[in-house]
Amino acid sequence: MTAPETMMRRIADPAARPDPYPLYEELRRTPVARQDDGVYTVSTYWEIRSLLNDPRVSSQTRPPLVPTPSGARSMLRLDPAEHDRVRRIVTRPFGPPHTPRRVFEMRRGMADTVRGLLDAFADKDQADIVDDFAYPFPISVICRLFGVPVEDEPRFHLWTESLLGAADFGAEHKPDPHLLDPDAAKIEMGGYLAELFDKHRKDPGDDMFSALAVDDGPDGRLTPPEQVATGFLLLIAGHETTVNLITNGVLTLLRHPQELKRLKDDPDLAVPMIEELLRYEPPVQYLPNRRTMDAVEVAGTVIPKDTDVNLMLAAGNRDPRRFPDADRFVPDRGDVEHLGFGNGVHYCFGAPLARLETRIALTEFARRVKGPELVADPPPYRVNPVLRGPRHLPVAYRGVRS
Amino acid sequence: MRLVVDLNRCQGYAQCAFLGPDVFRLHGEESLLYDPVVGAEKRDQVLAAAAACPVGAILVDGPGVREVDAVVG
Repeated sequence: MTAPETMMRRIADPAARPDPYPLYEELRRTPVARQDDGVYTVSTYWEIRSLLNDPRVSSQTRPPLVPTPSGARSMLRLDPAEHDRVRRIVTRPFGPPHTPRRVFEMRRGMADTVRGLLDAFADKDQADIVDDFAYPFPISVICRLFGVPVEDEPRFHLWTESLLGAADFGAEHKPDPHLLDPDAAKIEMGGYLAELFDKHRKDPGDDMFSALAVDDGPDGRLTPPEQVATGFLLLIAGHETTVNLITNGVLTLLRHPQELKRLKDDPDLAVPMIEELLRYEPPVQYLPNRRTMDAVEVAGTVIPKDTDVNLMLAAGNRDPRRFPDADRFVPDRGDVEHLGFGNGVHYCFGAPLARLETRIALTEFARRVKGPELVADPPPYRVNPVLRGPRHLPVAYRGVRS
Repeated sequence: MRLVVDLNRCQGYAQCAFLGPDVFRLHGEESLLYDPVVGAEKRDQVLAAAAACPVGAILVDGPGVREVDAVVG
């Protein structure tokens, strides 16, 4: 058996991407483990949850894996109280208390988009769930919500892929020749976002980026570099996570045909099922951005001050001390307080949007697509071990209901 | 259907106010207002809010509620 010291490297190895869960199980044998490079991993449910809510654990002091295209930090890399100020300002045009109905009222537009994408399935007998469904859907949603022209999508897709592709997770892999140099991507994307916010400042619409550019609430307005950092974070998050949640959902349903049938017969099942999906196959596998500001004792181990800590959400989600039958997909398990969206002050900003999108996508997929089957299992995966998901998910079927 | 929010558990994640805006409202940043008895037309909102609560603070009882959610006696 390999010692836990090499675990992060084994998890980062692309060969582990289709099924990292045996590695997480191994990791949980030492709930708080020091790796050979000095990083600590925390892999059991209660320990992760407690550190997510521990003010001695900072999101601000560890160098970022992905370079950001402005002088400012996004809220992902800020601690309270600065974090809270930025999050309140960004929440103001997005959700309650100031804009309580915005996300809820997007349901009809979401349903229209999903209908159009599935209508296009009717012309063929095989589709790529990533390229033809799970990717274009959230993109169209966030473009509308943020006020990003949808025709610019190929550009920011290339930039975000190039920046994420440059992140070093400790495993060897060939750089994708289609990607840009990360510094070039950073400069181009920063320039693009600065220009976009400028445009919205001069001619604001009813979208979120316009609100961030011109509205003054009780906390004032973000500075232009903060606007760019926020735009960058929201575009990446809206890009790289919901696609994986929806794709993981289709993949999991096709691996559990009886659950797919249940969902088809009972669309209400989607609501608890999505929570179980966030536990069973979370789109963000771990958080590689925390560092202690003081010595922190957890599960009998003292993590020293100024130590990098990886919080292994996907491992905690399968912790058998927290969830009975943790490796089984049980769509209606009653107790499913997963860590898929994190916990504490950095709880996923887009969670309500992701939940609605995934509910609509999976219920409509189950209802409309006849006899769907996986063409390859496992499918090919993307390289990134943190934002983990299939690169493609080819599915064969026998027609589409109207 | 009837619902109870355990306000000792509530941490202000506001998922309920996003997903069930006709039932749950935030007053200011942290204080939550909700209707303890709602009609069938808001059932979807209540169930979505209860499932999404990160601290399991929303308890629901009513016809057609899955057994696991029916905690209120």
